[in-house]
Amino acid sequence: MRRLGRLLKGGEPFIWLTGSALAFSLLMVAGLLFLILRNGLGFFWPADVWVFTLDDGSRIGGRIAAREAIPEPGAKGPVHLKYRLKVKEGNRDVTGADFVWVDEAKIVKRERPADMVAFERREWGDFYGWAKAVKDGEKVVAEGHGPAYRALLSDLPKAREVRDEARRIEKDEIGSVNYAKEKLRLELKRLELHGVTSGPAVAKLKAREDALTATYDELVKKLDEVRSRLATTVVLETVDGKEKEVPVTQVLRADRPNEMGLLAKAGRYLVGVWSFVSEDPRESNTEGGVFPAIFGTVLMVMIMSLVVTPLGVLTAFYLREYAVQGPVVSAVRIAVNNLAGVPSIVFGVFGLGFFVYFIGGSLDRLFFAESLPTPTWGTGGILWASLTLSLLTVPVVIVAAEEGLAAIPRGMREASLALGATKFETMWRVVLPAVMPSILTGLILAMARAAGEVAPLMITGVVKLAPALPVDGYPPFLHFDRKFMHLGFHIFDVGFQSPNVDAARPMVYNTTVLLLVIVVALNLTAIVIRNRLRKKLRTSGI
Amino acid sequence: MSSSAASTPGGAGLSPAARAGTRQNRVRTLTDRFATRFVTASGISIIAAILAILFVIAGVAWPLVLPARARALPAVVLPAGTQPLAVRVDEYREEAFVATSAGLLLVPLKGGAPSAADLPALDGATVTSARSVTGGLALGLSDGRVLPVTTAVDVTYPGGKRLLVPRVTAADPLVADPAGRPVKTFALAETPDGPLLAAAVGPREVSLDTVTETTSLIGGTTREESRQSLALGSEGDASALAVDDRGQDVFAGTTAGKVVRFDRTDASAPGLAESVPVNGDGAAVTLLGFLNGDRTLVVGDAAGRVSTWQVVKDDSGRRHLARMHDFAPHGAAVTGFSPSRRDKGFVTTDASGRTMVRYGTTGKTLLDLPGAGAAITGVTFAPKADGIAAVDAGGKLLQWDVRNPHPEVSWRTLFGKVWYEGYQKPEYVWQSTGATDDFEAKLSLTPLIYGTLKGTFYSLLVAVPLALMGALYTAQFMHPDLKALLKPTIEIMAALPSVVLGFIGGLWLAPTLERTAPGVLLMPLVIPFLTFAAIAAWTALPASWRRVIPHGYELVLLVPVVLAGGALAIWIGSGVESAALGGDYRTWLVSALGLSYDQRNSLVVGIAMGFAVIPIIFTVAEDSLASVPQGLSAGSLALGATRWQTALRVVLPTASPGIFSAVMIGFGRAVGETMIVLMATGNTPIMNSSLFSGFRAMSANIAVELPEAPEGGTLFRVLFLAALLLFGMTFVVNTAAELVRLRLRSKYRTFE
Repeated sequence: MRRLGRLLKGGEPFIWLTGSALAFSLLMVAGLLFLILRNGLGFFWPADVWVFTLDDGSRIGGRIAAREAIPEPGAKGPVHLKYRLKVKEGNRDVTGADFVWVDEAKIVKRERPADMVAFERREWGDFYGWAKAVKDGEKVVAEGHGPAYRALLSDLPKAREVRDEARRIEKDEIGSVNYAKEKLRLELKRLELHGVTSGPAVAKLKAREDALTATYDELVKKLDEVRSRLATTVVLETVDGKEKEVPVTQVLRADRPNEMGLLAKAGRYLVGVWSFVSEDPRESNTEGGVFPAIFGTVLMVMIMSLVVTPLGVLTAFYLREYAVQGPVVSAVRIAVNNLAGVPSIVFGVFGLGFFVYFIGGSLDRLFFAESLPTPTWGTGGILWASLTLSLLTVPVVIVAAEEGLAAIPRGMREASLALGATKFETMWRVVLPAVMPSILTGLILAMARAAGEVAPLMITGVVKLAPALPVDGYPPFLHFDRKFMHLGFHIFDVGFQSPNVDAARPMVYNTTVLLLVIVVALNLTAIVIRNRLRKKLRTSGI
Repeated sequence: MSSSAASTPGGAGLSPAARAGTRQNRVRTLTDRFATRFVTASGISIIAAILAILFVIAGVAWPLVLPARARALPAVVLPAGTQPLAVRVDEYREEAFVATSAGLLLVPLKGGAPSAADLPALDGATVTSARSVTGGLALGLSDGRVLPVTTAVDVTYPGGKRLLVPRVTAADPLVADPAGRPVKTFALAETPDGPLLAAAVGPREVSLDTVTETTSLIGGTTREESRQSLALGSEGDASALAVDDRGQDVFAGTTAGKVVRFDRTDASAPGLAESVPVNGDGAAVTLLGFLNGDRTLVVGDAAGRVSTWQVVKDDSGRRHLARMHDFAPHGAAVTGFSPSRRDKGFVTTDASGRTMVRYGTTGKTLLDLPGAGAAITGVTFAPKADGIAAVDAGGKLLQWDVRNPHPEVSWRTLFGKVWYEGYQKPEYVWQSTGATDDFEAKLSLTPLIYGTLKGTFYSLLVAVPLALMGALYTAQFMHPDLKALLKPTIEIMAALPSVVLGFIGGLWLAPTLERTAPGVLLMPLVIPFLTFAAIAAWTALPASWRRVIPHGYELVLLVPVVLAGGALAIWIGSGVESAALGGDYRTWLVSALGLSYDQRNSLVVGIAMGFAVIPIIFTVAEDSLASVPQGLSAGSLALGATRWQTALRVVLPTASPGIFSAVMIGFGRAVGETMIVLMATGNTPIMNSSLFSGFRAMSANIAVELPEAPEGGTLFRVLFLAALLLFGMTFVVNTAAELVRLRLRSKYRTFE
């Protein structure tokens, strides 16, 4: 007892207490990362497909999504003995829901049939069961679980071709016709605004419009033709014997996970990861990939970097090298520092009021009057969002560059000046190269911050589903007035506003993993550069 | 340029090479000068642009505080010999319809002579009273009938120009008094069951006329009129009447200064429900009317007082009239009234010719417009609320342009308690949009500010102890090797996007906490206890064992201790829940404390946002703790103080300003955090301090509502005002923290 009293007096237990606070914080970080990685990365693993036979004779097939104790209100003690399984049953078009809860106590038989197939489809989510028959029109091409599966597999490459071709026609050919038509419509409107409603100019435009309409009709016919090239359908069968006939073009992939080896599964896993980062989203963002969101995030960060670097560096050089140091500059410095602490949503509000409505609205009235009242620039878009974020992150670059400038020894500048260089030459040839790594650090930190920000984007141009990327094949190729998708917003939207949150959850976790990888990688790069820099400066100081 | 170089005296005798050198020098100097100017100019302008953010946001919010403005337009002189009674204008304000004692006048406002409308339904009677009703005017006639007249304009665009043709159609008249006595005053409303007319014809009674139209199967429409008489008894003669469009109540203002309410809950036998004196001196009630939505009753009297009332339910469910606002009085008897059809604004006029524009929600008088001196007999608010037209006893039609874009905003409505329509008492409410056109916008920022501060408070409650203790340990007790590993981890923690924390908070933490809340709440007790137990056990070990983990590496040992503590807390929590809280803590919360448990609540936000704030507080605090001069702590240790005593009594006090600024910066971050509060709370703008209920913060509110708010509207500007508040709060706090930190830094310099 006395030992304990002495211990308390010396304060050693309190030191341990402070240590456990730190340990708690670190465990929170570790736990968070573990949670995200576990929930995210596991999703692409082709897990086994089970068939459960319940005590009432019914059969349920699918993948096990979770297992939890059955809550028992009023039970004494924290001991749970009963568990239930959350089974991803898939087959949404047949069963109406993706998931089903199964009491473990009711399961009388569990099996993993080797020929059980997991189908990935374009619509209605995954299907678990068997291919019963493959039909071409009314004619049955293959029948039985084995032959039908093989027939389906041999058709899949062609299905993919047809899909790609149809998509190309839809997006590129019909897209370009629509684009040209829209331009013609605006041209006509512009003439009308100038009071020209008839005459040769209008007739010419009208003729071109008719020609385009003809092309459009032709393309629609072509599209129908392409789609009819593969008329094969496959009859899918669920574990309880229900059937569903779907066109083969609707099937993206079909696997038998239960008979896959570890290597095959790993290969399938990589395919899953690749399709996640390279494909467009399906089923209102709850399936498919996140490519447009990655593209939007990267492009936005790039535009932001192009803007923020010169702004930040010029300001830092002014504050540190050119301005007369005094209370005013100190006050400005504090103000700029504090801008980094101003809530990001405030910058978003500024962006909306200034960029979108003031500048964008004025541009529309001056140059795009023909498309009003539909705004061109007077609505949120990737340029306005990037400019808003560059204002948000400019303090980061200024602070980093200033720190770098302050760390450069006076001697270097003085030596250069003493050798007869002008101040500009000193800055350009001596100071700027020396401060480059600091600028880079600042820029990377700014990029990391920008990649993770969502709130200001929500009011300056991010959307849940953008019809087109901000960069495409039609002049002027860069459409910075377009709205865009963003990984961070994707998380918010799919996780909180999606109609089917349960099924979308793995998508959210995976998007989170992707965003975290980008942000953490950027930050680590900045940290590494900074540490190298510090070492270098330390040696140069000696 | 070169000629000027040659003309300088120094350049004349130089060799060509030297001259070239001079030219080069000149270019260099010029470049240098240009660079200096360029950097200076762009530096200043960038700083100015950044600082202009404040002014742009303030500039958008500014029109909220601008007063309403009105401009008098030239008056139109009506034909002599008629007494104007009421007026109505079309939405373009080009055509006025004036009810006069002789009938109806069509008055073009953009020039042209007034003409009388053809109304055969008058049937030789004269007009004794007139009122504006939905879609037109209603005329009370000298033969006891009331004639509703639809006034409309047909708009055509021949040749691209707008052309208005006024159209007047009389509906079937209602018979207020079969005996044919003149209608002194009346009120007419279109209820869901059909038109409802209240009229004063005889003394001390109100005649109530209901019309039910039934379409029979054969196709003919039968119109049935039934009449009831409501006795006023000793309350006086009816001098003003009002009927709401739900047909719920009939209000009669009397010559004795009372408002009498007849309840029509039982439509077959409306009874006198209450009689309320509206003024102290018994001045006759001269005006009753409803604001847009027919819920707020405006009462004006012969002494010029104007007040608004509404029927509220008290706790026992009894309905009674309650006074909401008293407005700035007119000097003379109130004569005319017109509600705005867009919001809760209205105009009142008086016998001395004054017109006043007021707003129901705020209780404010926005404009006081002098007239020509003659009593104003009828007034109307233009349909777009951008103008006012009035007719006076002198036979003039007066007009004003009104610019009043944000009448619903005042300091009271933004920050104070306001008595809204349909509420029992004044309250703080944020409800910016509603389902119906007559919705009353409720724009109190108080619940949002409250929500912001509540979220900040709970997150600081989580973050401050953890971050400060962690910082103290890192700065004072941790081994430098471990520290080099730790700092990047904390920096990564700071870089985690808030949308990730919000998502985890909302979708994982919220359901998990719902199961384990008692255990999690026990953690702050269990983990320290277990830590103390661990050190007690540790010191009991032989010294040779203890040497395995030297000072500064306790962290390694503490990680499993904390893990075990967390698990133990959860286990104890569920034990406590089933033993003491009846098996389900949520039902216990409701029954014992009266608290309801929302899944996305302040506890979730506290932890998720605390997570975001910890690294910020940690970094700043650790910085200031580590920069306490070594000499101080070394001296203390040399004098025999233990590590802890030195840290607590020497280092901590010295670094306290830095710790203060760390907490301030953390506060600034939490105040403005958007995505976490958006995703991890239910976003309901309620004001209650419970840990288990949600809230709506200003930042989340902006993110949710700004994309939907029409540009330039009141909501748009109020949201900008909210952003300005956020900006101000964080800027002030951060500047204070920064100044404290700078002072601290210069203080240390003297030690070195």
